[in-house]
Amino acid sequence: MKKASLFIILIILATFGVAVAAQYKVITKDAPVRKDKRFFAPVVTRIPYGATVEDQGRQGDWLRVTYRGKQGWIHIGAVQERKVQLLRAGKAREATQEEVALAGKGFTPEVEKAYREKNPRLKYGEVDEIESLRVDDDSLLAFIRAGNLNEPGGGR
Amino acid sequence: MKTTKFYRLSAVLLLVAIIGCAEVAKVGTEIGYQQGLITKEMKEGIVKTAEQAEAASRPMTAEEEYFLGRAVGAEILSRYSLYRNERLTRYINEIGNVVALSSDRPVTYSGYHFAILDTDEANAFACPGGTILVTRGMLQRTKNEDELAAVLAHEVGHVNHKDGVNSIQQARWIQVIATIGTTAAKTLSKGELDKLTDLFTGSVGDVVKTIVANGYSRDQELAADQSALVFLHRAGYDPFALTSYLGRLAKEQTGGASAGFFSTHPGMDKRLAASQAYLDQQNWAPVDRTARDRRFKQYF
Repeated sequence: MKKASLFIILIILATFGVAVAAQYKVITKDAPVRKDKRFFAPVVTRIPYGATVEDQGRQGDWLRVTYRGKQGWIHIGAVQERKVQLLRAGKAREATQEEVALAGKGFTPEVEKAYREKNPRLKYGEVDEIESLRVDDDSLLAFIRAGNLNEPGGGR
Repeated sequence: MKTTKFYRLSAVLLLVAIIGCAEVAKVGTEIGYQQGLITKEMKEGIVKTAEQAEAASRPMTAEEEYFLGRAVGAEILSRYSLYRNERLTRYINEIGNVVALSSDRPVTYSGYHFAILDTDEANAFACPGGTILVTRGMLQRTKNEDELAAVLAHEVGHVNHKDGVNSIQQARWIQVIATIGTTAAKTLSKGELDKLTDLFTGSVGDVVKTIVANGYSRDQELAADQSALVFLHRAGYDPFALTSYLGRLAKEQTGGASAGFFSTHPGMDKRLAASQAYLDQQNWAPVDRTARDRRFKQYF
C-alpha cells in the first residue's frame, strides 16, 4: 500500500510539479530586449534564436529577462516556455519533440538548401530582397504619429 | 490486491500516455517500473503510445513556419513579377507593420514583410510566417490608406490564424515528425534529408494549392475579416474601411471582373454582411482619417 501511495504522489508531482523554475527559449531569429515593456522602447540587447532566458517576472505580454548582464523586456511571442524536469535533475534525458525542432531538425536551412537545389526556377532571391526591407522603429513611430494612429501594444 | 493496484495504476499511466504528455509518462513509468508495479514491456509500450500521441500533435515551430513561408513566397514569385516601386513598397510596409504589431501575433520568426506583385489582377497572398504579397490591382482598388490597411489586416489575420500552415495534410505532418525522430542528433543522414525535403516539397504544394488555386474556407475568410476589424480598431484605423472596400469588390464580382481574387475569395456578399453585423455590435468611436487621406494621395 505504501508503495502505491508513494507512486501516486510521484505521479502527481510529475504532472503538476515540474514547472517550478520557468525557463524560456528564444524562438525568433533575433529577439530584441527592450528597456521598457513596449514595442518602440530602446533596444538594450538582442538574443539569438535558441538561447535560453529565465523568467524574472511577466507583465502582460512582456517578460523581464537578463541576457549577458543586460536586463530588459522581451515580447512573449518571441519565446517559448521550457519546463524543467526537476525529478530528472542530473540525469541525461531524451530530447522532447520541441527541443528537437529547436535544435534544428525540422524544416531548416539544410532542408531549404536541398529544396532550392531541386527547384532552381524558384525566386528565392526576390524573397531575400523582400525580407531585407525593414522599417526601423523610429521611422515607424514617426509614421504612426503623423497618421494619427495608436502606438501598438499601448494600454492593451 | 497487488494485481488490482497494478491494473489501476497501469490505467492511469495509459491515460497519461493517451492525453499526450510523453515526458510525464516517461517519468511515471520509470518510477512504476522501479517500484516493481509494471513490467519493462508495459513501461516501453506506454512511453511509445505517449510519444506517438505527442508527435502527432506537435505544432510547427516559428522557424519551420518561416522556411515554409519562404518557399511559398518563392513559388508565388515564380508565377508573378515583383513590382519594384521602392517608395510604394515602403509605404505598404509601414501600414502593414502597424497593423501586424496591433494583431494578436505581433511577433514571428523573422517579422512581417509586405511586397507588391505586378499585375492588374486583384489578389493577395499571406505566406506562412508573415510575408504578405499583394497585387498592384488590389492596391489600385483602394480609395484611402484605411482601406489599404484593411486589405493588409485581412492577410495578417490569415498569418495570425496559421491558415496556410493548417492547409498542410495532417498525414504529411505526422511523417515529418516521424522522420525527425525523438533524439536530437546534430546531423541528418542523407536518407533523412531526402525524406524531409520531399515532405517539405509536399507541404509547400499543399499551401500553394490552397492560397493560389482553391482558396481558404468560408469560415477562415470570415475569421480573417473579423480579426482585421479588431486589428484596424486597435491600430487607430477606421474598421469601416474593410466594409467599404469589400462593398466595392462585391459590386465588381457581380460584374464578373477580377477572376483571380474572386476564385480564391468567394462569397463577398456574405463576408460583407458578416463584417457589417460585427461592426454593428461594437461601440467604436468614429476616427479622424484626415491626416492619412492626405498622405495616401502622395502615393496614388
